[in-house]
Amino acid sequence: MRFVDEFRNADLARGLAAQIAALAEPGRHYKIMEVCGGHTHTIYKHGIEDHLPDTVELVHGPGCPVCVIPMGRVDDGIAVAKRPGVIFTCFGDMMRVPGGDGSLLDAKAQGADVRFVYSPLDALKIARNNPDREVVFFAIGFETTAPSTALTLMRAKAERIKNFSVICNHVTIVPPLRALLESPDLRLDGFIGPGHVSTVVGCRPYEFIPKDHGQPVVTAGFEPLDLLQSIFMIMKQLAEGRSEVENQYSRVVPWEGNLKALEVLAEVFELRPYFEWRGLGFISQSALRLSDAYADWDAELRFEMPGVRVADPKACQCGEVLKGVIKPWECKVFGTACTPETPIGTCMVSSEGACAAYYNFGRFARSKERAGA
Amino acid sequence: MTGPRLPMVDPQSYGAVCAVIDGCLTCGDVAVPVTVIEAGDPDAICQDDHGQRGTVGIELVAPVEAGQRLLIHGGVAIARLDVSA
Repeated sequence: MRFVDEFRNADLARGLAAQIAALAEPGRHYKIMEVCGGHTHTIYKHGIEDHLPDTVELVHGPGCPVCVIPMGRVDDGIAVAKRPGVIFTCFGDMMRVPGGDGSLLDAKAQGADVRFVYSPLDALKIARNNPDREVVFFAIGFETTAPSTALTLMRAKAERIKNFSVICNHVTIVPPLRALLESPDLRLDGFIGPGHVSTVVGCRPYEFIPKDHGQPVVTAGFEPLDLLQSIFMIMKQLAEGRSEVENQYSRVVPWEGNLKALEVLAEVFELRPYFEWRGLGFISQSALRLSDAYADWDAELRFEMPGVRVADPKACQCGEVLKGVIKPWECKVFGTACTPETPIGTCMVSSEGACAAYYNFGRFARSKERAGA
Repeated sequence: MTGPRLPMVDPQSYGAVCAVIDGCLTCGDVAVPVTVIEAGDPDAICQDDHGQRGTVGIELVAPVEAGQRLLIHGGVAIARLDVSA
């Protein structure tokens, strides 16, 4: 299959793995963070870690949008979903994220009209077809997803569709990276930069990482060879004493991003002063809300919501996993009380979550490794 | 049998477009390459590599023409695929 097969060539992968091993300095331990949940998924699915030297460790970052949603925001969504006359729409993964008292899926089972959609444009279509109902879209995602919500709101405004509104939980990628870099309990050697977020924002926003922190960043694609090549590029920078932003995913990511998309985002959204991230706490200017021009479509202004901060379950260690402090299997409830069927933490919900990805693809390899030891 | 059993996620409850093994197509950083079948404004009919067709918002990459490769996310095209790269 075009754009897939050529990025899964086993010989090329072996060659890249050998080059990575050759670049690893003896006695040095390398920690490279893949920011994006999509990369985490590829790493586990294709066993990328098994082809790296023991001294090159991949640390899983906070780039899964489902995983970083705090429980209180889920509860806000459920409160709106349970209102009479509301059709509540969201992406598929969001349905299963546990709030303080159940998930949106539970609310649906209790009679709320909760529907999953593939696109916010589909939610707008539902609003168009149900003029006597209030249709609310629970928007989540990084800069990859925010443009689709923005376009939907622009169409709603142009068509004067008044029975449509959005609970905006869109987050931005740079502030959590800054927070991680300033975190004292995490030492990293480099970053595999997000691929499709960079399609929108470009590579320039990451320049502060090499400039201020001296660490390389390589924006990467999502196929196995993309990731191996990105790791090779990071290792090469480290070996040569360089730290720069490089673009491995140039077939998709323009250096400047998608200027039209950035223009649309600037029109529809503005930065929130602060936003709570699961595991990372409150981070200033790290999320988006609707601008004044779109206040009529802001569900947070239209509906009353609890707005209560809910602490994560005590057993759940999603916070440490999201910061890369512990590996998924080191969490006390991983694979026992917390599984993709009955997730306790958000990292087990989305297939991009480090815990779910590891549960699906990595745990058998690890049990073999333990049996061997 | 040791260890936890394989997850059996009900596709009806999980979401028809979200398969736990294949990754989250909608809300994550995942995007799908498609080919434009019929250009339009503001939507185009596009087809993915498995032959599935759908309507895609193309405002962010307009203008497009039939045969062009696009990357879509959440029903909206976010980039043109540069085949030469």
